[in-house]
Amino acid sequence: MTILEVKDIEKRFGPLQVLDNISFSLVKGETLAIIGSSGSGKTTLLRCINFLERPDKGSIIVNKEVIFDAMDPATQRESEVRKKRLHFGLVFQNFNLFPQYTVLKNVTLALELLAKEHPDYKQEKKAIMEEIQDRARTLLSQVGLSDKLDYYPHMISGGQQQRVAIARALALEPDILCFDEPTSALDPELTGEVLKVIRNLAERNTTMIIVTHEMDFARDVADRVIFMDEGVIVEQGRPEEVFGNPKEERTRQFLTRYNQK
Amino acid sequence: MNEIPVIISRLSESFLLNCRLFALTLLFSLPLGLLIAFGSMSRFYPIRWLVRTFVWIIRGTPLMLQLIIIYFGPGLMSLAFSWPSGTSGRFVAATVAFIINYACYFSEIFRGGIESIPKGQYEAGQVLGMTKRQIFFNVILLQVVKRILPPVGNEVITLVKDTALARIIANKEIIMMAGEYTSKGLIWPLFATGIYFLVFVGVLTLLLGWLEKKLNYFRA
Repeated sequence: MTILEVKDIEKRFGPLQVLDNISFSLVKGETLAIIGSSGSGKTTLLRCINFLERPDKGSIIVNKEVIFDAMDPATQRESEVRKKRLHFGLVFQNFNLFPQYTVLKNVTLALELLAKEHPDYKQEKKAIMEEIQDRARTLLSQVGLSDKLDYYPHMISGGQQQRVAIARALALEPDILCFDEPTSALDPELTGEVLKVIRNLAERNTTMIIVTHEMDFARDVADRVIFMDEGVIVEQGRPEEVFGNPKEERTRQFLTRYNQK
Repeated sequence: MNEIPVIISRLSESFLLNCRLFALTLLFSLPLGLLIAFGSMSRFYPIRWLVRTFVWIIRGTPLMLQLIIIYFGPGLMSLAFSWPSGTSGRFVAATVAFIINYACYFSEIFRGGIESIPKGQYEAGQVLGMTKRQIFFNVILLQVVKRILPPVGNEVITLVKDTALARIIANKEIIMMAGEYTSKGLIWPLFATGIYFLVFVGVLTLLLGWLEKKLNYFRA
Protein backbone atom coordinates (compact mmCIF):
# COMPACT_ATOMS: atom_id res chain seq x y z
CA MET A 1 0.00 0.00 0.00
CA THR A 2 1.41 3.36 -1.06
CA ILE A 3 1.59 5.64 1.93
CA LEU A 4 3.45 8.61 0.47
CA GLU A 5 3.52 10.09 -2.98
CA VAL A 6 5.73 13.02 -3.83
CA LYS A 7 4.96 14.54 -7.22
CA ASP A 8 7.07 16.94 -9.27
CA ILE A 9 8.49 18.89 -6.34
CA GLU A 10 10.45 21.97 -7.29
CA LYS A 11 12.22 24.35 -4.95
CA ARG A 12 14.29 27.44 -5.62
CA PHE A 13 16.28 29.60 -3.25
CA GLY A 14 16.49 32.80 -5.24
CA PRO A 15 18.19 31.99 -8.53
CA LEU A 16 19.36 28.62 -7.22
CA GLN A 17 17.29 25.62 -8.23
CA VAL A 18 17.65 23.23 -5.30
CA LEU A 19 15.05 20.65 -6.25
CA ASP A 20 13.87 19.92 -9.75
CA ASN A 21 11.06 17.63 -10.71
CA ILE A 22 11.35 15.29 -7.74
CA SER A 23 8.88 12.41 -7.75
CA PHE A 24 8.89 9.23 -5.76
CA SER A 25 6.57 7.13 -3.67
CA LEU A 26 6.86 5.07 -0.56
CA VAL A 27 5.08 1.89 0.44
CA LYS A 28 4.00 1.32 4.03
CA GLY A 29 6.72 -0.43 6.01
CA GLU A 30 9.40 0.46 3.52
CA THR A 31 12.77 1.99 4.34
CA LEU A 32 14.01 4.48 1.77
CA ALA A 33 17.56 5.77 1.82
CA ILE A 34 18.45 8.98 0.03
CA ILE A 35 22.12 9.35 -0.82
CA GLY A 36 24.12 11.96 -2.68
CA SER A 37 26.86 14.48 -2.11
CA SER A 38 26.47 17.62 -0.01
CA GLY A 39 24.38 20.24 -1.75
CA SER A 40 22.50 17.73 -3.85
CA GLY A 41 19.17 18.73 -2.29
CA LYS A 42 18.58 15.72 -0.02
CA THR A 43 18.04 17.73 3.12
CA THR A 44 15.88 20.32 1.38
CA LEU A 45 13.69 17.52 0.07
CA LEU A 46 13.24 16.15 3.57
CA ARG A 47 12.46 19.65 4.87
CA CYS A 48 9.84 20.13 2.16
CA ILE A 49 8.12 16.91 3.14
CA ASN A 50 8.08 18.10 6.76
CA PHE A 51 6.69 21.55 5.90
CA LEU A 52 9.86 23.30 7.02
CA GLU A 53 10.30 24.60 3.48
CA ARG A 54 7.53 25.39 1.05
CA PRO A 55 8.03 23.83 -2.39
CA ASP A 56 7.41 26.14 -5.35
CA LYS A 57 5.78 23.41 -7.38
CA GLY A 58 4.42 19.95 -6.91
CA SER A 59 2.28 18.07 -4.45
CA ILE A 60 2.58 15.67 -1.54
CA ILE A 61 0.03 12.97 -0.94
CA VAL A 62 -0.22 10.88 2.23
CA ASN A 63 -2.68 8.00 2.44
CA LYS A 64 -4.36 9.28 -0.73
CA GLU A 65 -5.00 12.67 0.88
CA VAL A 66 -3.38 15.65 -0.83
CA ILE A 67 -1.67 17.33 2.11
CA PHE A 68 0.27 19.81 0.02
CA ASP A 69 -0.30 21.25 -3.42
CA ALA A 70 1.71 24.26 -4.49
CA MET A 71 -1.17 25.36 -6.75
CA ASP A 72 -3.81 25.09 -4.04
CA PRO A 73 -3.44 27.59 -1.15
CA ALA A 74 -6.17 25.78 0.76
CA THR A 75 -3.67 23.01 1.46
CA GLN A 76 -1.19 25.46 2.98
CA ARG A 77 -3.17 27.02 5.81
CA GLU A 78 -1.05 27.40 8.91
CA SER A 79 -3.63 25.82 11.22
CA GLU A 80 -3.85 22.70 9.10
CA VAL A 81 -0.17 22.43 8.32
CA ARG A 82 0.37 21.86 12.00
CA LYS A 83 -1.83 18.78 12.04
CA LYS A 84 -0.49 17.53 8.73
CA ARG A 85 3.02 17.64 10.09
CA LEU A 86 2.02 14.87 12.46
CA HIS A 87 2.01 12.43 9.55
CA PHE A 88 5.77 12.81 9.66
CA GLY A 89 8.45 12.62 12.29
CA LEU A 90 11.83 14.22 11.76
CA VAL A 91 15.12 13.41 13.42
CA PHE A 92 17.64 16.20 12.89
CA GLN A 93 21.33 16.05 12.25
CA ASN A 94 21.96 18.14 15.39
CA PHE A 95 19.35 16.35 17.54
CA ASN A 96 17.74 19.65 18.61
CA LEU A 97 16.72 18.31 21.99
CA PHE A 98 15.19 20.85 24.37
CA PRO A 99 18.06 21.58 26.76
CA GLN A 100 15.95 22.65 29.74
CA TYR A 101 14.01 19.39 29.90
CA THR A 102 15.01 15.95 31.06
CA VAL A 103 15.29 13.07 28.64
CA LEU A 104 11.83 11.86 29.69
CA LYS A 105 10.25 15.30 29.40
CA ASN A 106 11.76 15.78 25.94
CA VAL A 107 9.77 12.76 24.83
CA THR A 108 6.54 13.62 26.66
CA LEU A 109 6.33 17.40 26.07
CA ALA A 110 4.64 17.39 22.65
CA LEU A 111 2.27 14.62 23.72
CA GLU A 112 1.26 16.54 26.81
CA LEU A 113 0.63 19.71 24.85
CA LEU A 114 -1.48 17.81 22.33
CA ALA A 115 -3.39 16.09 25.12
CA LYS A 116 -4.26 19.46 26.64
CA GLU A 117 -6.18 20.34 23.50
CA HIS A 118 -8.31 17.24 23.91
CA PRO A 119 -11.84 17.99 25.17
CA ASP A 120 -11.73 15.27 27.86
CA TYR A 121 -8.39 16.43 29.16
CA LYS A 122 -9.66 18.01 32.39
CA GLN A 123 -11.63 14.99 33.58
CA GLU A 124 -9.05 12.39 32.66
CA LYS A 125 -5.90 14.36 33.22
CA LYS A 126 -4.30 11.82 35.50
CA ALA A 127 -4.95 8.80 33.32
CA ILE A 128 -3.82 10.63 30.19
CA MET A 129 -0.61 11.83 31.81
CA GLU A 130 0.19 8.36 33.09
CA GLU A 131 -0.37 6.87 29.69
CA ILE A 132 1.97 9.43 28.15
CA GLN A 133 4.65 8.72 30.74
CA ASP A 134 4.33 4.99 30.12
CA ARG A 135 4.58 5.40 26.40
CA ALA A 136 7.68 7.57 26.76
CA ARG A 137 9.33 5.11 29.13
CA THR A 138 8.65 2.23 26.77
CA LEU A 139 10.13 4.12 23.84
CA LEU A 140 13.17 5.16 25.82
CA SER A 141 13.80 1.61 26.90
CA GLN A 142 13.47 0.58 23.24
CA VAL A 143 16.34 2.91 22.38
CA GLY A 144 18.30 1.67 25.40
CA LEU A 145 18.03 4.72 27.65
CA SER A 146 15.94 3.53 30.56
CA ASP A 147 18.66 4.55 32.96
CA LYS A 148 18.88 8.14 31.66
CA LEU A 149 15.29 9.32 32.09
CA ASP A 150 16.15 12.12 34.52
CA TYR A 151 19.30 13.30 32.80
CA TYR A 152 19.47 16.58 30.96
CA PRO A 153 20.63 16.59 27.34
CA HIS A 154 24.04 18.13 28.12
CA MET A 155 24.80 15.26 30.50
CA ILE A 156 24.64 12.52 27.89
CA SER A 157 26.67 11.72 24.78
CA GLY A 158 25.75 12.73 21.25
CA GLY A 159 24.74 9.19 20.39
CA GLN A 160 22.47 9.04 23.41
CA GLN A 161 21.01 12.44 22.56
CA GLN A 162 20.21 11.27 19.06
CA ARG A 163 18.52 8.18 20.46
CA VAL A 164 16.37 10.43 22.68
CA ALA A 165 15.50 12.44 19.56
CA ILE A 166 14.41 9.23 17.83
CA ALA A 167 12.22 8.27 20.80
CA ARG A 168 10.79 11.81 20.82
CA ALA A 169 9.84 11.55 17.14
CA LEU A 170 8.36 8.06 17.60
CA ALA A 171 6.21 9.19 20.53
CA LEU A 172 3.81 10.95 18.18
CA GLU A 173 3.44 7.75 16.13
CA PRO A 174 4.12 9.32 12.74
CA ASP A 175 3.18 7.47 9.57
CA ILE A 176 6.60 8.18 8.17
CA LEU A 177 9.75 8.78 10.17
CA CYS A 178 12.40 10.92 8.48
CA PHE A 179 16.07 11.11 9.37
CA ASP A 180 18.29 13.96 8.22
CA GLU A 181 21.86 12.64 8.33
CA PRO A 182 21.29 11.27 11.82
CA THR A 183 24.92 10.33 12.41
CA SER A 184 26.76 13.17 10.68
CA ALA A 185 27.23 15.20 13.86
CA LEU A 186 28.50 12.22 15.85
CA ASP A 187 31.98 10.99 16.64
CA PRO A 188 32.66 7.84 14.61
CA GLU A 189 32.56 5.59 17.67
CA LEU A 190 29.03 6.78 18.49
CA THR A 191 27.41 6.24 15.10
CA GLY A 192 27.00 2.50 15.70
CA GLU A 193 24.52 2.80 18.55
CA VAL A 194 22.28 5.15 16.57
CA LEU A 195 22.40 3.04 13.42
CA LYS A 196 21.51 0.00 15.51
CA VAL A 197 18.35 1.72 16.73
CA ILE A 198 17.37 2.67 13.18
CA ARG A 199 18.09 -0.88 12.02
CA ASN A 200 15.75 -2.17 14.73
CA LEU A 201 13.04 0.15 13.53
CA ALA A 202 13.49 -1.12 9.99
CA GLU A 203 13.12 -4.68 11.21
CA ARG A 204 9.83 -3.68 12.85
CA ASN A 205 8.69 -2.35 9.46
CA THR A 206 8.65 1.30 10.43
CA THR A 207 8.13 3.42 7.33
CA MET A 208 11.24 5.56 7.06
CA ILE A 209 13.10 7.99 4.84
CA ILE A 210 16.76 8.23 5.74
CA VAL A 211 19.07 10.85 4.29
CA THR A 212 22.52 9.49 4.99
CA HIS A 213 26.20 9.42 4.14
CA GLU A 214 26.58 5.94 5.63
CA MET A 215 26.68 3.92 2.42
CA ASP A 216 27.15 0.51 4.01
CA PHE A 217 24.25 1.18 6.30
CA ALA A 218 21.99 2.35 3.44
CA ARG A 219 22.88 -0.73 1.46
CA ASP A 220 22.13 -2.95 4.42
CA VAL A 221 18.97 -1.49 5.81
CA ALA A 222 17.15 0.21 2.97
CA ASP A 223 14.54 -1.48 0.81
CA ARG A 224 15.05 1.19 -1.79
CA VAL A 225 17.72 3.77 -2.51
CA ILE A 226 17.46 7.14 -4.23
CA PHE A 227 20.61 8.80 -5.50
CA MET A 228 20.32 12.58 -5.89
CA ASP A 229 22.65 15.00 -7.61
CA GLU A 230 22.19 18.72 -8.25
CA GLY A 231 18.57 18.69 -7.22
CA VAL A 232 17.35 15.80 -9.33
CA ILE A 233 16.82 12.12 -8.71
CA VAL A 234 19.46 10.50 -10.88
CA GLU A 235 18.69 6.92 -10.07
CA GLN A 236 16.49 4.89 -7.79
CA GLY A 237 16.09 1.22 -7.18
CA ARG A 238 16.85 -1.68 -4.86
CA PRO A 239 20.12 -1.23 -2.97
CA GLU A 240 21.76 -4.17 -4.76
CA GLU A 241 21.05 -2.46 -8.07
CA VAL A 242 22.05 1.09 -7.14
CA PHE A 243 25.17 0.07 -5.25
CA GLY A 244 26.08 -3.10 -7.11
CA ASN A 245 25.23 -2.22 -10.63
CA PRO A 246 24.48 1.48 -11.08
CA LYS A 247 22.95 2.37 -14.41
CA GLU A 248 23.97 6.01 -14.45
CA GLU A 249 27.44 7.35 -14.90
CA ARG A 250 26.93 10.00 -12.16
CA THR A 251 25.96 7.36 -9.64
CA ARG A 252 29.05 5.36 -10.52
CA GLN A 253 31.29 8.37 -10.08
CA PHE A 254 29.74 9.21 -6.74
CA LEU A 255 30.13 5.68 -5.40
CA THR A 256 33.71 5.42 -6.64
CA ARG A 257 34.60 8.67 -4.92
CA TYR A 258 32.94 7.38 -1.80
CA ASN A 259 34.81 4.10 -1.79
CA GLN A 260 38.14 5.86 -2.09
CA LYS A 261 37.57 7.62 1.22
CA MET B 1 23.14 65.17 68.05
CA ASN B 2 19.67 63.82 68.75
CA GLU B 3 18.85 64.97 65.26
CA ILE B 4 20.56 61.90 63.79
CA PRO B 5 17.78 59.35 64.37
CA VAL B 6 15.22 61.79 62.97
CA ILE B 7 17.26 62.35 59.82
CA ILE B 8 17.81 58.66 59.34
CA SER B 9 14.17 57.86 59.71
CA ARG B 10 13.23 60.58 57.22
CA LEU B 11 15.85 59.30 54.74
CA SER B 12 14.53 55.76 55.14
CA GLU B 13 10.99 56.90 54.59
CA SER B 14 11.90 58.75 51.41
CA PHE B 15 13.87 55.74 50.17
CA LEU B 16 10.59 53.83 50.16
CA LEU B 17 9.59 56.00 47.20
CA ASN B 18 12.70 54.82 45.35
CA CYS B 19 11.78 51.22 46.22
CA ARG B 20 8.18 51.62 45.07
CA LEU B 21 9.22 53.22 41.81
CA PHE B 22 11.77 50.44 41.29
CA ALA B 23 9.28 47.63 41.91
CA LEU B 24 6.50 49.09 39.76
CA THR B 25 8.88 49.85 36.91
CA LEU B 26 10.19 46.28 36.87
CA LEU B 27 6.75 44.75 37.17
CA PHE B 28 5.41 46.54 34.11
CA SER B 29 8.46 47.21 31.96
CA LEU B 30 9.50 43.56 31.68
CA PRO B 31 6.27 42.36 30.02
CA LEU B 32 5.95 45.59 28.02
CA GLY B 33 9.53 45.13 26.89
CA LEU B 34 8.69 41.65 25.58
CA LEU B 35 5.77 43.11 23.64
CA ILE B 36 8.01 45.82 22.17
CA ALA B 37 10.59 43.15 21.30
CA PHE B 38 7.95 41.24 19.31
CA GLY B 39 6.97 44.49 17.59
CA SER B 40 10.56 45.21 16.61
CA MET B 41 10.82 41.71 15.12
CA SER B 42 7.46 41.88 13.34
CA ARG B 43 7.42 40.62 9.79
CA PHE B 44 4.99 43.45 8.98
CA TYR B 45 7.27 46.31 7.99
CA PRO B 46 5.17 49.31 9.19
CA ILE B 47 4.91 47.88 12.72
CA ARG B 48 8.58 47.08 12.82
CA TRP B 49 9.48 50.57 11.61
CA LEU B 50 7.13 52.27 14.05
CA VAL B 51 8.36 50.27 17.04
CA ARG B 52 12.04 50.68 16.16
CA THR B 53 11.59 54.44 15.70
CA PHE B 54 9.91 54.65 19.09
CA VAL B 55 12.75 52.69 20.70
CA TRP B 56 15.26 55.00 19.01
CA ILE B 57 13.52 58.09 20.42
CA ILE B 58 13.29 56.71 23.94
CA ARG B 59 16.86 55.42 24.00
CA GLY B 60 18.08 58.51 22.21
CA THR B 61 16.89 61.09 24.74
CA PRO B 62 17.74 61.53 28.42
CA LEU B 63 15.39 59.91 30.90
CA MET B 64 15.43 63.20 32.77
CA LEU B 65 13.95 64.98 29.77
CA GLN B 66 11.36 62.25 29.30
CA LEU B 67 10.25 62.69 32.90
CA ILE B 68 9.73 66.41 32.34
CA ILE B 69 7.91 65.95 29.03
CA ILE B 70 5.64 63.24 30.36
CA TYR B 71 4.77 65.23 33.46
CA PHE B 72 4.37 68.70 31.97
CA GLY B 73 3.60 67.77 28.36
CA PRO B 74 -0.11 67.04 28.62
CA GLY B 75 -0.83 70.28 30.46
CA LEU B 76 1.32 72.42 28.15
CA MET B 77 -0.31 70.97 25.06
CA SER B 78 -3.63 71.63 26.79
CA LEU B 79 -4.79 68.12 26.18
CA ALA B 80 -7.93 66.86 27.79
CA PHE B 81 -5.74 64.58 29.83
CA SER B 82 -3.54 65.78 32.65
CA TRP B 83 -1.91 64.20 35.65
CA PRO B 84 -3.67 64.51 38.98
CA SER B 85 -2.14 67.32 40.99
CA GLY B 86 -0.03 66.70 44.06
CA THR B 87 2.27 63.90 45.11
CA SER B 88 0.33 61.01 43.59
CA GLY B 89 0.22 62.64 40.15
CA ARG B 90 3.96 63.25 40.19
CA PHE B 91 4.64 59.70 41.27
CA VAL B 92 2.38 58.17 38.64
CA ALA B 93 3.95 60.32 35.92
CA ALA B 94 7.43 59.29 37.03
CA THR B 95 6.41 55.63 37.07
CA VAL B 96 4.98 55.83 33.56
CA ALA B 97 8.13 57.51 32.25
CA PHE B 98 10.35 54.88 33.89
CA ILE B 99 8.24 51.99 32.60
CA ILE B 100 8.37 53.22 29.01
CA ASN B 101 12.08 54.01 29.19
CA TYR B 102 13.09 50.69 30.72
CA ALA B 103 10.74 48.66 28.52
CA CYS B 104 12.63 49.97 25.49
CA TYR B 105 16.01 48.95 26.88
CA PHE B 106 14.66 45.55 27.94
CA SER B 107 13.08 45.04 24.52
CA GLU B 108 16.48 45.19 22.85
CA ILE B 109 17.91 42.70 25.33
CA PHE B 110 14.95 40.39 24.72
CA ARG B 111 15.28 40.72 20.97
CA GLY B 112 18.95 39.80 21.12
CA GLY B 113 18.13 36.84 23.36
CA ILE B 114 15.29 35.57 21.22
CA GLU B 115 17.29 35.90 18.01
CA SER B 116 20.22 34.01 19.54
CA ILE B 117 18.20 30.81 20.02
CA PRO B 118 19.09 28.35 17.23
CA LYS B 119 16.49 27.85 14.50
CA GLY B 120 16.61 24.13 15.21
CA GLN B 121 14.77 24.63 18.49
CA TYR B 122 11.79 26.17 16.66
CA GLU B 123 11.92 23.51 13.98
CA ALA B 124 12.02 20.70 16.51
CA GLY B 125 8.87 22.13 18.07
CA GLN B 126 7.22 22.55 14.69
CA VAL B 127 7.77 18.99 13.54
CA LEU B 128 6.35 17.81 16.87
CA GLY B 129 3.10 19.60 16.00
CA MET B 130 3.44 22.46 18.49
CA THR B 131 1.87 25.85 17.81
CA LYS B 132 4.05 28.97 17.61
CA ARG B 133 2.76 29.99 21.01
CA GLN B 134 3.54 26.62 22.57
CA ILE B 135 7.01 26.69 21.07
CA PHE B 136 7.71 30.15 22.45
CA PHE B 137 6.43 29.56 25.96
CA ASN B 138 7.47 25.90 26.40
CA VAL B 139 10.73 25.75 24.50
CA ILE B 140 12.23 29.16 23.76
CA LEU B 141 11.43 31.43 26.71
CA LEU B 142 13.42 29.75 29.46
CA GLN B 143 16.47 29.47 27.20
CA VAL B 144 16.15 33.20 26.48
CA VAL B 145 15.82 34.02 30.18
CA LYS B 146 18.97 32.08 30.93
CA ARG B 147 20.92 33.88 28.22
CA ILE B 148 19.76 37.41 29.01
CA LEU B 149 20.00 37.25 32.77
CA PRO B 150 23.39 39.05 33.00
CA PRO B 151 22.42 42.04 30.80
CA VAL B 152 18.99 42.27 32.42
CA GLY B 153 20.74 42.26 35.79
CA ASN B 154 22.79 45.22 34.62
CA GLU B 155 19.66 47.18 33.71
CA VAL B 156 17.98 46.29 36.97
CA ILE B 157 20.93 47.61 38.94
CA THR B 158 21.02 50.78 36.86
CA LEU B 159 17.32 51.22 37.55
CA VAL B 160 17.91 51.26 41.32
CA LYS B 161 20.09 54.33 40.97
CA ASP B 162 18.02 55.94 38.22
CA THR B 163 15.04 56.14 40.56
CA ALA B 164 16.82 59.17 42.07
CA LEU B 165 15.96 61.03 38.84
CA ALA B 166 12.32 61.13 39.91
CA ARG B 167 13.20 64.23 41.96
CA ILE B 168 13.28 66.21 38.70
CA ILE B 169 9.48 66.35 38.86
CA ALA B 170 9.53 66.91 42.61
CA ASN B 171 9.11 63.35 43.83
CA LYS B 172 10.56 63.41 47.30
CA GLU B 173 12.91 60.52 46.96
CA ILE B 174 15.98 59.99 49.11
CA ILE B 175 18.45 62.31 47.36
CA MET B 176 15.94 65.14 47.28
CA MET B 177 15.33 64.59 50.96
CA ALA B 178 19.04 64.66 51.71
CA GLY B 179 19.33 67.78 49.58
CA GLU B 180 17.09 69.64 52.00
CA TYR B 181 19.70 69.08 54.70
CA THR B 182 22.52 70.04 52.37
CA SER B 183 20.90 73.39 51.75
CA LYS B 184 20.83 73.86 55.52
CA GLY B 185 24.56 73.19 55.59
CA LEU B 186 24.46 69.54 56.66
CA ILE B 187 26.26 67.38 54.12
CA TRP B 188 26.46 63.92 55.73
CA PRO B 189 22.84 62.88 54.97
CA LEU B 190 23.65 63.15 51.27
CA PHE B 191 26.67 60.93 51.73
CA ALA B 192 24.57 58.52 53.75
CA THR B 193 22.15 57.97 50.85
CA GLY B 194 24.93 56.09 49.12
CA ILE B 195 24.69 53.42 51.77
CA TYR B 196 21.01 52.84 50.98
CA PHE B 197 21.74 52.32 47.30
CA LEU B 198 24.74 50.14 48.03
CA VAL B 199 22.80 47.83 50.33
CA PHE B 200 19.89 47.57 47.91
CA VAL B 201 22.18 46.75 45.00
CA GLY B 202 24.07 44.28 47.18
CA VAL B 203 20.90 42.36 47.92
CA LEU B 204 19.94 42.42 44.22
CA THR B 205 23.35 41.14 43.22
CA LEU B 206 22.95 38.19 45.54
CA LEU B 207 19.48 37.51 44.18
CA LEU B 208 20.64 37.68 40.57
CA GLY B 209 23.53 35.35 41.34
CA TRP B 210 21.14 32.90 42.95
CA LEU B 211 18.84 33.01 39.92
CA GLU B 212 21.73 32.46 37.56
CA LYS B 213 22.81 29.46 39.60
CA LYS B 214 19.25 28.13 39.57
CA LEU B 215 19.27 28.17 35.78
CA ASN B 216 22.61 26.44 35.63
CA TYR B 217 20.96 23.03 35.65
CA PHE B 218 20.84 23.07 31.87
CA ARG B 219 23.07 24.32 29.10
CA ALA B 220 21.84 26.36 26.19
